[in-house]
Amino acid sequence: MASTTTMDGGKSAQERMQARAPEMELIREAQAGSRAAFDALVRQYEHQVLRLALHLTGSEHDAEDIYQEAFLKAYRYIGNFRFECSFYTWIYRIVTNLCLDQLRRRKTRREDRAVVLDHSGDEIDVLASVSDDRSFSNPAKELDRKVLGARIQAALGKLTPRERMVFELKHYQGLRLRTIGEMLSTTEETAKNTLFRATKKLRLQLAELR
Amino acid sequence: MNCELAHERIVTAAYGELPDEQLHELERHMTACPDCHSDREQLLAMKILANALPVVEPPANLVARSRLRLEEALDALPPKRWYERLTQRTMNNFASLQAAPVAACLLLVVGAGAGILGGYEYAQSRAAHAAALAHDVNRPHPIDQPAAEITNISSIVRQPNSEMVEVRYNQVVPQQMEGSLDDPKIRELLMLASENSASAGVRDDSVGLLAAECRAGHSCQAAGIRDALMVVLRYDKNAGVRLKALDGLEPYVAADTRVRDAVLEALLNDTDPRIRTKAVDILEPVEADTSVRQVLHTVANSDQNPHIRTVSREVLSRVPEIQ
Repeated sequence: MASTTTMDGGKSAQERMQARAPEMELIREAQAGSRAAFDALVRQYEHQVLRLALHLTGSEHDAEDIYQEAFLKAYRYIGNFRFECSFYTWIYRIVTNLCLDQLRRRKTRREDRAVVLDHSGDEIDVLASVSDDRSFSNPAKELDRKVLGARIQAALGKLTPRERMVFELKHYQGLRLRTIGEMLSTTEETAKNTLFRATKKLRLQLAELR
Repeated sequence: MNCELAHERIVTAAYGELPDEQLHELERHMTACPDCHSDREQLLAMKILANALPVVEPPANLVARSRLRLEEALDALPPKRWYERLTQRTMNNFASLQAAPVAACLLLVVGAGAGILGGYEYAQSRAAHAAALAHDVNRPHPIDQPAAEITNISSIVRQPNSEMVEVRYNQVVPQQMEGSLDDPKIRELLMLASENSASAGVRDDSVGLLAAECRAGHSCQAAGIRDALMVVLRYDKNAGVRLKALDGLEPYVAADTRVRDAVLEALLNDTDPRIRTKAVDILEPVEADTSVRQVLHTVANSDQNPHIRTVSREVLSRVPEIQ
Protein backbone atom coordinates (compact mmCIF):
# COMPACT_ATOMS: atom_id res chain seq x y z
CA MET A 1 0.00 0.00 0.00
CA ALA A 2 2.77 2.33 0.96
CA SER A 3 4.61 1.63 -2.28
CA THR A 4 1.43 2.11 -4.35
CA THR A 5 0.75 5.41 -2.64
CA THR A 6 4.34 6.47 -3.17
CA MET A 7 4.24 5.50 -6.84
CA ASP A 8 0.92 7.26 -7.37
CA GLY A 9 2.14 10.34 -5.50
CA GLY A 10 5.39 10.45 -7.47
CA LYS A 11 3.69 10.08 -10.85
CA SER A 12 1.10 12.79 -10.16
CA ALA A 13 3.82 15.11 -8.80
CA GLN A 14 5.69 14.86 -12.10
CA GLU A 15 2.53 15.47 -14.11
CA ARG A 16 1.77 18.48 -11.93
CA MET A 17 5.32 19.76 -12.47
CA GLN A 18 4.93 19.42 -16.21
CA ALA A 19 1.51 21.08 -16.26
CA ARG A 20 2.20 24.07 -14.04
CA ALA A 21 5.91 24.74 -13.61
CA PRO A 22 6.85 27.53 -15.97
CA GLU A 23 9.79 26.90 -18.21
CA MET A 24 12.09 29.38 -16.53
CA GLU A 25 11.66 27.68 -13.20
CA LEU A 26 12.26 24.27 -14.77
CA ILE A 27 15.42 25.49 -16.45
CA ARG A 28 16.77 26.98 -13.22
CA GLU A 29 16.01 23.79 -11.35
CA ALA A 30 17.64 21.70 -14.06
CA GLN A 31 20.68 23.98 -13.90
CA ALA A 32 20.78 23.37 -10.16
CA GLY A 33 20.89 19.62 -10.86
CA SER A 34 17.25 18.54 -10.71
CA ARG A 35 16.80 15.51 -12.92
CA ALA A 36 13.00 15.70 -12.62
CA ALA A 37 13.07 19.27 -13.96
CA PHE A 38 15.26 18.22 -16.90
CA ASP A 39 12.95 15.29 -17.63
CA ALA A 40 10.00 17.71 -17.71
CA LEU A 41 11.88 19.89 -20.22
CA VAL A 42 12.61 16.83 -22.37
CA ARG A 43 8.91 15.96 -22.46
CA GLN A 44 8.04 19.47 -23.62
CA TYR A 45 10.30 19.24 -26.66
CA GLU A 46 10.80 15.58 -27.50
CA HIS A 47 7.99 15.33 -30.07
CA GLN A 48 9.23 18.36 -31.98
CA VAL A 49 12.81 17.08 -31.93
CA LEU A 50 11.82 13.63 -33.19
CA ARG A 51 9.47 15.05 -35.80
CA LEU A 52 12.24 17.19 -37.26
CA ALA A 53 14.91 14.48 -37.10
CA LEU A 54 12.60 11.83 -38.59
CA HIS A 55 11.52 13.97 -41.51
CA LEU A 56 15.08 15.06 -42.25
CA THR A 57 16.79 11.70 -41.97
CA GLY A 58 13.97 9.40 -43.04
CA SER A 59 15.18 6.86 -40.51
CA GLU A 60 13.79 6.06 -37.06
CA HIS A 61 17.21 4.81 -36.02
CA ASP A 62 18.95 8.04 -37.02
CA ALA A 63 16.18 10.12 -35.47
CA GLU A 64 16.61 8.23 -32.22
CA ASP A 65 20.37 8.84 -32.30
CA ILE A 66 19.86 12.56 -32.88
CA TYR A 67 17.33 12.67 -30.03
CA GLN A 68 19.81 10.96 -27.72
CA GLU A 69 22.75 13.18 -28.61
CA ALA A 70 20.70 16.36 -28.51
CA PHE A 71 19.26 15.83 -25.05
CA LEU A 72 22.50 14.52 -23.61
CA LYS A 73 24.22 17.66 -24.87
CA ALA A 74 21.43 19.76 -23.44
CA TYR A 75 21.86 18.02 -20.08
CA ARG A 76 25.61 18.53 -20.13
CA TYR A 77 25.50 22.19 -21.14
CA ILE A 78 22.29 23.46 -19.59
CA GLY A 79 24.40 25.33 -17.09
CA ASN A 80 25.58 27.53 -19.96
CA PHE A 81 22.07 28.63 -20.91
CA ARG A 82 21.81 32.35 -20.12
CA PHE A 83 18.17 33.13 -21.04
CA GLU A 84 19.44 35.38 -23.85
CA CYS A 85 17.16 33.48 -26.21
CA SER A 86 14.23 31.16 -25.61
CA PHE A 87 14.98 27.62 -24.54
CA TYR A 88 13.15 26.47 -27.67
CA THR A 89 15.70 28.27 -29.87
CA TRP A 90 18.57 26.91 -27.78
CA ILE A 91 17.51 23.28 -27.98
CA TYR A 92 16.68 23.58 -31.66
CA ARG A 93 20.13 25.01 -32.28
CA ILE A 94 21.62 21.83 -30.82
CA VAL A 95 19.28 19.62 -32.86
CA THR A 96 19.86 21.45 -36.16
CA ASN A 97 23.62 21.21 -35.74
CA LEU A 98 23.36 17.48 -35.14
CA CYS A 99 21.06 17.11 -38.13
CA LEU A 100 23.51 19.09 -40.27
CA ASP A 101 26.33 16.76 -39.19
CA GLN A 102 24.16 13.80 -40.11
CA LEU A 103 23.36 15.26 -43.53
CA ARG A 104 27.04 15.99 -44.16
CA ARG A 105 28.00 12.44 -43.24
CA ARG A 106 25.39 11.17 -45.64
CA LYS A 107 26.68 13.36 -48.41
CA THR A 108 30.13 11.93 -47.86
CA ARG A 109 28.81 8.37 -47.85
CA ARG A 110 26.31 9.20 -50.65
CA GLU A 111 23.36 7.74 -48.74
CA ASP A 112 20.28 9.30 -50.22
CA ARG A 113 17.27 7.65 -48.67
CA ALA A 114 14.20 7.74 -50.78
CA VAL A 115 12.04 6.05 -48.13
CA VAL A 116 11.59 6.18 -44.35
CA LEU A 117 13.00 3.25 -42.40
CA ASP A 118 11.88 2.04 -38.98
CA HIS A 119 14.24 0.83 -36.25
CA SER A 120 14.53 -2.65 -37.73
CA GLY A 121 15.26 -1.26 -41.19
CA ASP A 122 11.82 -1.95 -42.68
CA GLU A 123 10.21 0.61 -44.95
CA ILE A 124 7.48 2.86 -43.62
CA ASP A 125 5.02 4.35 -46.06
CA VAL A 126 5.05 8.00 -44.97
CA LEU A 127 2.41 8.89 -47.52
CA ALA A 128 0.00 6.39 -45.96
CA SER A 129 -0.54 8.98 -43.25
CA VAL A 130 -1.83 11.46 -45.84
CA SER A 131 -5.61 11.21 -45.69
CA ASP A 132 -7.45 10.09 -48.76
CA ASP A 133 -10.86 11.72 -49.05
CA ARG A 134 -12.23 9.21 -51.50
CA SER A 135 -14.44 6.48 -50.17
CA PHE A 136 -12.53 3.72 -51.95
CA SER A 137 -8.78 3.04 -52.29
CA ASN A 138 -6.94 3.03 -55.57
CA PRO A 139 -3.79 0.92 -55.66
CA ALA A 140 -2.51 2.71 -58.75
CA LYS A 141 -2.84 6.06 -57.03
CA GLU A 142 -1.09 4.66 -53.95
CA LEU A 143 1.82 3.61 -56.10
CA ASP A 144 1.89 7.04 -57.75
CA ARG A 145 2.08 8.68 -54.34
CA LYS A 146 4.90 6.43 -53.24
CA VAL A 147 6.83 7.16 -56.39
CA LEU A 148 6.17 10.88 -55.96
CA GLY A 149 7.35 10.75 -52.38
CA ALA A 150 10.53 8.96 -53.42
CA ARG A 151 11.19 11.56 -56.12
CA ILE A 152 10.73 14.39 -53.66
CA GLN A 153 13.09 12.75 -51.18
CA ALA A 154 15.63 12.30 -53.96
CA ALA A 155 15.29 15.95 -55.00
CA LEU A 156 15.76 17.06 -51.39
CA GLY A 157 18.81 14.83 -51.21
CA LYS A 158 20.43 16.85 -53.98
CA LEU A 159 20.45 20.02 -51.87
CA THR A 160 23.48 20.89 -49.79
CA PRO A 161 23.05 20.05 -46.08
CA ARG A 162 22.54 23.72 -45.22
CA GLU A 163 20.00 24.24 -48.01
CA ARG A 164 18.19 21.09 -46.95
CA MET A 165 18.13 22.30 -43.35
CA VAL A 166 16.82 25.77 -44.16
CA PHE A 167 14.16 24.36 -46.50
CA GLU A 168 13.10 21.84 -43.87
CA LEU A 169 12.83 24.45 -41.14
CA LYS A 170 10.98 26.94 -43.35
CA HIS A 171 8.75 24.80 -45.53
CA TYR A 172 8.02 21.82 -43.31
CA GLN A 173 8.44 23.19 -39.79
CA GLY A 174 7.04 26.67 -40.56
CA LEU A 175 9.68 28.65 -38.68
CA ARG A 176 10.44 32.28 -39.51
CA LEU A 177 13.66 33.15 -41.29
CA ARG A 178 14.84 35.20 -38.34
CA THR A 179 14.43 32.20 -36.04
CA ILE A 180 16.13 29.93 -38.57
CA GLY A 181 19.06 32.36 -38.72
CA GLU A 182 19.38 32.27 -34.92
CA MET A 183 19.27 28.49 -34.87
CA LEU A 184 21.93 28.17 -37.54
CA SER A 185 24.03 30.96 -35.97
CA THR A 186 23.73 33.13 -39.02
CA THR A 187 21.72 36.12 -40.18
CA GLU A 188 18.16 36.28 -41.46
CA GLU A 189 19.50 37.54 -44.81
CA THR A 190 21.78 34.52 -45.21
CA ALA A 191 18.94 32.16 -44.33
CA LYS A 192 16.79 33.92 -46.94
CA ASN A 193 19.46 33.52 -49.63
CA THR A 194 19.90 29.86 -48.73
CA LEU A 195 16.14 29.32 -49.05
CA PHE A 196 16.21 31.02 -52.43
CA ARG A 197 18.94 28.68 -53.70
CA ALA A 198 17.15 25.63 -52.27
CA THR A 199 13.82 26.46 -53.94
CA LYS A 200 15.57 27.20 -57.23
CA LYS A 201 17.24 23.77 -57.21
CA LEU A 202 14.04 22.01 -56.18
CA ARG A 203 12.04 23.67 -58.92
CA LEU A 204 14.47 22.34 -61.48
CA GLN A 205 14.46 18.87 -59.94
CA LEU A 206 10.69 18.65 -59.65
CA ALA A 207 9.80 20.43 -62.90
CA GLU A 208 9.29 17.19 -64.83
CA LEU A 209 6.79 15.96 -62.22
CA ARG A 210 4.35 18.80 -62.89
CA MET B 1 12.12 46.40 -59.79
CA ASN B 2 14.15 44.09 -62.05
CA CYS B 3 13.33 40.46 -62.65
CA GLU B 4 16.32 39.12 -60.69
CA LEU B 5 15.13 40.93 -57.57
CA ALA B 6 11.55 39.89 -58.31
CA HIS B 7 12.56 36.19 -58.41
CA GLU B 8 14.04 36.47 -54.93
CA ARG B 9 11.04 38.33 -53.57
CA ILE B 10 8.65 35.80 -55.06
CA VAL B 11 10.24 33.15 -52.84
CA THR B 12 10.12 35.39 -49.77
CA ALA B 13 6.49 36.29 -50.44
CA ALA B 14 5.48 32.66 -51.00
CA TYR B 15 6.70 31.91 -47.49
CA GLY B 16 5.00 34.90 -45.91
CA GLU B 17 8.19 36.80 -45.14
CA LEU B 18 7.95 39.75 -47.51
CA PRO B 19 7.13 43.14 -45.93
CA ASP B 20 3.81 44.49 -47.14
CA GLU B 21 5.16 47.49 -49.04
CA GLN B 22 7.51 45.24 -51.05
CA LEU B 23 4.67 42.82 -51.68
CA HIS B 24 2.64 45.55 -53.27
CA GLU B 25 5.59 46.50 -55.49
CA LEU B 26 6.07 42.85 -56.47
CA GLU B 27 2.42 42.43 -57.41
CA ARG B 28 2.67 45.45 -59.69
CA HIS B 29 5.79 44.02 -61.35
CA MET B 30 4.19 40.61 -61.92
CA THR B 31 1.16 42.20 -63.53
CA ALA B 32 3.49 43.59 -66.19
CA CYS B 33 5.97 40.67 -66.41
CA PRO B 34 4.64 37.32 -67.64
CA ASP B 35 8.01 35.58 -66.94
CA CYS B 36 7.92 36.50 -63.27
CA HIS B 37 4.25 35.59 -63.08
CA SER B 38 5.13 32.18 -64.49
CA ASP B 39 8.04 31.91 -62.03
CA ARG B 40 5.64 32.36 -59.14
CA GLU B 41 3.28 29.73 -60.54
CA GLN B 42 6.20 27.29 -60.75
CA LEU B 43 7.19 28.04 -57.18
CA LEU B 44 3.67 27.48 -55.91
CA ALA B 45 3.54 24.19 -57.82
CA MET B 46 6.85 23.16 -56.25
CA LYS B 47 5.44 23.93 -52.79
CA ILE B 48 2.42 21.74 -53.49
CA LEU B 49 4.65 18.92 -54.67
CA ALA B 50 6.92 19.24 -51.65
CA ASN B 51 3.84 18.99 -49.42
CA ALA B 52 3.25 15.52 -50.84
CA LEU B 53 5.99 14.41 -48.43
CA PRO B 54 4.23 15.24 -45.16
CA VAL B 55 5.78 15.68 -41.74
CA VAL B 56 4.50 12.82 -39.63
CA GLU B 57 4.14 12.59 -35.89
CA PRO B 58 6.76 10.25 -34.46
CA PRO B 59 5.24 6.86 -33.63
CA ALA B 60 4.58 6.23 -29.95
CA ASN B 61 7.05 3.33 -29.99
CA LEU B 62 9.82 5.59 -31.23
CA VAL B 63 9.08 8.18 -28.55
CA ALA B 64 9.01 5.57 -25.81
CA ARG B 65 12.17 3.87 -27.05
CA SER B 66 14.05 7.15 -27.32
CA ARG B 67 12.95 8.27 -23.90
CA LEU B 68 13.97 5.00 -22.29
CA ARG B 69 17.37 5.08 -23.94
CA LEU B 70 17.92 8.67 -22.80
CA GLU B 71 16.93 7.84 -19.24
CA GLU B 72 19.37 4.95 -19.17
CA ALA B 73 22.15 7.18 -20.46
CA LEU B 74 21.36 9.90 -17.90
CA ASP B 75 21.22 7.34 -15.08
CA ALA B 76 24.63 6.10 -16.12
CA LEU B 77 26.19 9.56 -15.88
CA PRO B 78 28.12 10.09 -12.65
CA PRO B 79 26.60 12.76 -10.39
CA LYS B 80 28.32 16.12 -10.40
CA ARG B 81 30.76 16.60 -7.55
CA TRP B 82 30.35 19.53 -5.22
CA TYR B 83 33.33 21.38 -6.74
CA GLU B 84 31.90 20.90 -10.25
CA ARG B 85 28.59 22.41 -9.12
CA LEU B 86 30.45 25.24 -7.40
CA THR B 87 32.54 25.91 -10.51
CA GLN B 88 29.40 25.92 -12.66
CA ARG B 89 27.68 28.36 -10.35
CA THR B 90 30.73 30.61 -10.32
CA MET B 91 30.96 30.50 -14.12
CA ASN B 92 27.25 31.35 -14.38
CA ASN B 93 27.70 34.35 -12.11
CA PHE B 94 30.83 35.42 -13.98
CA ALA B 95 29.03 35.09 -17.29
CA SER B 96 26.22 37.30 -15.99
CA LEU B 97 28.77 39.93 -15.08
CA GLN B 98 30.43 39.61 -18.48
CA ALA B 99 27.16 40.52 -20.11
CA ALA B 100 27.18 43.90 -18.31
CA PRO B 101 30.76 45.18 -18.32
CA VAL B 102 29.94 48.68 -17.12
CA ALA B 103 27.79 47.31 -14.32
CA ALA B 104 30.56 44.85 -13.49
CA CYS B 105 33.14 47.66 -13.22
CA LEU B 106 30.83 49.71 -11.05
CA LEU B 107 30.17 46.68 -8.89
CA LEU B 108 33.90 46.18 -8.49
CA VAL B 109 34.48 49.78 -7.50
CA VAL B 110 31.53 49.83 -5.12
CA GLY B 111 32.52 46.47 -3.68
CA ALA B 112 36.12 47.55 -3.12
CA GLY B 113 34.96 50.79 -1.52
CA ALA B 114 32.50 48.98 0.70
CA GLY B 115 35.17 46.49 1.66
CA ILE B 116 37.65 49.20 2.68
CA LEU B 117 35.01 51.12 4.61
CA GLY B 118 33.72 47.96 6.20
CA GLY B 119 37.20 46.92 7.23
CA TYR B 120 37.85 50.32 8.81
CA GLU B 121 34.53 50.24 10.67
CA TYR B 122 35.19 46.70 11.83
CA ALA B 123 38.62 47.57 13.14
CA GLN B 124 37.18 50.57 14.99
CA SER B 125 34.40 48.49 16.53
CA ARG B 126 36.86 45.78 17.57
CA ALA B 127 38.96 48.38 19.32
CA ALA B 128 35.92 49.80 21.09
CA HIS B 129 34.76 46.34 22.03
CA ALA B 130 38.11 45.42 23.46
CA ALA B 131 38.12 48.62 25.49
CA ALA B 132 34.63 47.94 26.78
CA LEU B 133 35.59 44.40 27.68
CA ALA B 134 38.46 45.62 29.70
CA HIS B 135 36.14 47.86 31.78
CA ASP B 136 32.97 45.80 31.89
CA VAL B 137 33.76 42.13 31.70
CA ASN B 138 30.78 40.71 33.58
CA ARG B 139 27.98 42.90 32.25
CA PRO B 140 25.94 41.24 29.55
CA HIS B 141 25.58 43.01 26.21
CA PRO B 142 22.02 42.70 25.05
CA ILE B 143 21.19 42.75 21.37
CA ASP B 144 19.60 46.10 20.71
CA GLN B 145 18.29 45.84 17.18
CA PRO B 146 14.53 45.68 17.55
CA ALA B 147 13.80 46.61 13.95
CA ALA B 148 16.25 44.22 12.25
CA GLU B 149 15.58 40.52 11.82
CA ILE B 150 18.45 38.15 12.53
CA THR B 151 18.61 35.66 9.66
CA ASN B 152 21.47 33.42 10.79
CA ILE B 153 24.41 33.03 13.12
CA SER B 154 27.65 32.78 11.19
CA SER B 155 30.09 31.94 13.99
CA ILE B 156 30.45 31.50 17.73
CA VAL B 157 33.86 31.87 19.34
CA ARG B 158 34.51 31.46 23.02
CA GLN B 159 37.51 33.31 24.30
CA PRO B 160 39.94 30.98 25.97
CA ASN B 161 39.86 30.77 29.77
CA SER B 162 36.97 33.17 29.84
CA GLU B 163 33.23 33.37 30.13
CA MET B 164 33.18 35.72 27.15
CA VAL B 165 31.69 34.54 23.89
CA GLU B 166 31.80 36.31 20.55
CA VAL B 167 28.77 35.70 18.35
CA ARG B 168 28.66 36.85 14.75
CA TYR B 169 25.27 37.11 13.10
CA ASN B 170 23.67 38.40 9.90
CA GLN B 171 20.64 40.63 9.76
CA VAL B 172 17.99 41.56 7.25
CA VAL B 173 16.87 45.10 7.85
CA PRO B 174 13.37 45.74 6.47
CA GLN B 175 13.25 48.93 4.52
CA GLN B 176 10.49 51.02 3.13
CA MET B 177 10.35 53.57 0.38
CA GLU B 178 7.62 55.86 -0.78
CA GLY B 179 7.68 57.80 -4.00
CA SER B 180 6.09 58.59 -7.33
CA LEU B 181 5.68 56.00 -10.08
CA ASP B 182 7.93 58.23 -12.18
CA ASP B 183 10.75 57.86 -9.63
CA PRO B 184 13.45 55.64 -11.20
CA LYS B 185 14.15 53.98 -7.84
CA ILE B 186 10.48 53.07 -7.36
CA ARG B 187 10.37 51.68 -10.90
CA GLU B 188 13.51 49.66 -10.25
CA LEU B 189 11.97 48.14 -7.14
CA LEU B 190 8.75 47.36 -9.02
CA MET B 191 10.73 45.62 -11.78
CA LEU B 192 12.63 43.58 -9.18
CA ALA B 193 9.32 42.63 -7.57
CA SER B 194 7.95 41.51 -10.95
CA GLU B 195 10.81 39.04 -11.38
CA ASN B 196 11.91 37.98 -7.96
CA SER B 197 9.05 38.03 -5.52
CA ALA B 198 7.96 34.68 -4.18
CA SER B 199 4.47 36.06 -3.59
CA ALA B 200 2.14 36.03 -6.59
CA GLY B 201 0.23 38.91 -5.00
CA VAL B 202 3.32 41.14 -4.90
CA ARG B 203 4.22 40.23 -8.50
CA ASP B 204 0.62 40.90 -9.54
CA ASP B 205 0.67 44.34 -7.90
CA SER B 206 4.04 45.30 -9.37
CA VAL B 207 3.21 44.12 -12.90
CA GLY B 208 -0.18 45.87 -12.68
CA LEU B 209 1.50 49.18 -11.83
CA LEU B 210 4.17 48.81 -14.52
CA ALA B 211 1.57 47.85 -17.14
CA ALA B 212 -0.54 50.88 -16.19
CA GLU B 213 2.51 53.11 -16.71
CA CYS B 214 3.01 51.68 -20.19
CA ARG B 215 -0.65 52.02 -21.13
CA ALA B 216 -0.63 55.63 -19.92
CA GLY B 217 2.26 56.32 -22.29
CA HIS B 218 4.76 57.16 -19.57
CA SER B 219 8.38 56.48 -20.36
CA CYS B 220 8.30 52.74 -20.64
CA GLN B 221 11.37 51.67 -22.60
CA ALA B 222 14.29 53.69 -21.29
CA ALA B 223 13.73 52.28 -17.82
CA GLY B 224 13.50 48.71 -19.17
CA ILE B 225 9.87 48.30 -18.16
CA ARG B 226 8.88 46.93 -21.55
CA ASP B 227 11.60 44.28 -21.32
CA ALA B 228 10.49 43.38 -17.78
CA LEU B 229 6.89 42.94 -18.98
CA MET B 230 8.06 40.69 -21.83
CA VAL B 231 9.99 38.49 -19.37
CA VAL B 232 6.87 38.27 -17.17
CA LEU B 233 4.72 37.38 -20.18
CA ARG B 234 7.10 34.59 -21.17
CA TYR B 235 7.93 33.11 -17.80
CA ASP B 236 5.67 34.07 -14.90
CA LYS B 237 3.86 31.04 -13.53
CA ASN B 238 0.71 32.95 -12.63
CA ALA B 239 -1.69 33.45 -15.54
CA GLY B 240 -3.23 36.57 -13.99
CA VAL B 241 0.18 38.22 -13.79
CA ARG B 242 0.99 37.26 -17.39
CA LEU B 243 -2.36 38.74 -18.48
CA LYS B 244 -1.50 42.07 -16.87
CA ALA B 245 1.87 42.08 -18.59
CA LEU B 246 0.16 41.45 -21.93
CA ASP B 247 -2.19 44.32 -21.19
CA GLY B 248 0.76 46.65 -20.59
CA LEU B 249 2.46 45.64 -23.85
CA GLU B 250 -0.61 46.28 -26.01
CA PRO B 251 0.28 49.89 -26.99
CA TYR B 252 3.63 48.73 -28.43
CA VAL B 253 2.57 45.80 -30.59
CA ALA B 254 2.41 47.91 -33.72
CA ALA B 255 5.70 49.78 -33.32
CA ASP B 256 7.98 47.30 -31.54
CA THR B 257 8.70 44.01 -33.33
CA ARG B 258 10.17 42.49 -30.16
CA VAL B 259 6.87 43.06 -28.36
CA ARG B 260 5.04 41.63 -31.35
CA ASP B 261 7.25 38.53 -31.25
CA ALA B 262 6.62 38.06 -27.53
CA VAL B 263 2.86 38.31 -28.09
CA LEU B 264 3.06 35.84 -30.99
CA GLU B 265 4.96 33.42 -28.75
CA ALA B 266 2.27 33.78 -26.10
CA LEU B 267 -0.40 33.09 -28.71
CA LEU B 268 1.36 29.90 -29.76
CA ASN B 269 2.62 28.60 -26.42
CA ASP B 270 0.71 30.00 -23.45
CA THR B 271 -1.33 27.39 -21.64
CA ASP B 272 -4.04 29.83 -20.53
CA PRO B 273 -6.78 30.40 -23.13
CA ARG B 274 -7.55 33.90 -21.76
CA ILE B 275 -4.03 34.98 -22.66
CA ARG B 276 -4.18 33.45 -26.13
CA THR B 277 -7.56 35.12 -26.73
CA LYS B 278 -6.22 38.48 -25.57
CA ALA B 279 -3.17 38.01 -27.80
CA VAL B 280 -5.41 37.53 -30.87
CA ASP B 281 -7.30 40.70 -29.94
CA ILE B 282 -4.24 42.89 -29.57
CA LEU B 283 -2.64 41.52 -32.75
CA GLU B 284 -5.67 42.55 -34.79
CA PRO B 285 -4.31 46.06 -35.61
CA VAL B 286 -1.22 44.44 -37.13
CA GLU B 287 -3.09 41.61 -38.86
CA ALA B 288 -1.55 42.72 -42.16
CA ASP B 289 1.90 41.68 -40.91
CA THR B 290 2.77 38.46 -42.72
CA SER B 291 4.37 36.93 -39.60
CA VAL B 292 1.19 37.60 -37.66
CA ARG B 293 -0.93 36.06 -40.38
CA GLN B 294 1.28 32.98 -40.43
CA VAL B 295 0.86 32.46 -36.71
CA LEU B 296 -2.88 33.11 -36.93
CA HIS B 297 -3.10 30.43 -39.64
CA THR B 298 -1.33 27.96 -37.37
CA VAL B 299 -3.55 28.84 -34.41
CA ALA B 300 -6.71 28.72 -36.56
CA ASN B 301 -5.83 25.14 -37.51
CA SER B 302 -4.28 23.70 -34.42
CA ASP B 303 -5.24 25.51 -31.21
CA GLN B 304 -6.95 23.14 -28.82
CA ASN B 305 -9.52 25.77 -27.82
CA PRO B 306 -12.36 26.01 -30.40
CA HIS B 307 -13.18 29.61 -29.50
CA ILE B 308 -9.61 30.70 -30.18
CA ARG B 309 -9.58 28.84 -33.51
CA THR B 310 -12.81 30.62 -34.47
CA VAL B 311 -11.57 34.05 -33.43
CA SER B 312 -8.32 33.54 -35.37
CA ARG B 313 -10.22 32.56 -38.50
CA GLU B 314 -12.43 35.62 -38.17
CA VAL B 315 -9.42 37.91 -37.93
CA LEU B 316 -7.83 36.24 -40.96
CA SER B 317 -11.04 36.50 -42.98
CA ARG B 318 -10.93 40.29 -42.61
CA VAL B 319 -7.60 40.38 -44.45
CA PRO B 320 -7.76 39.84 -48.23
CA GLU B 321 -5.95 36.68 -49.35
CA ILE B 322 -2.42 37.30 -50.66
CA GLN B 323 -2.22 36.50 -54.37
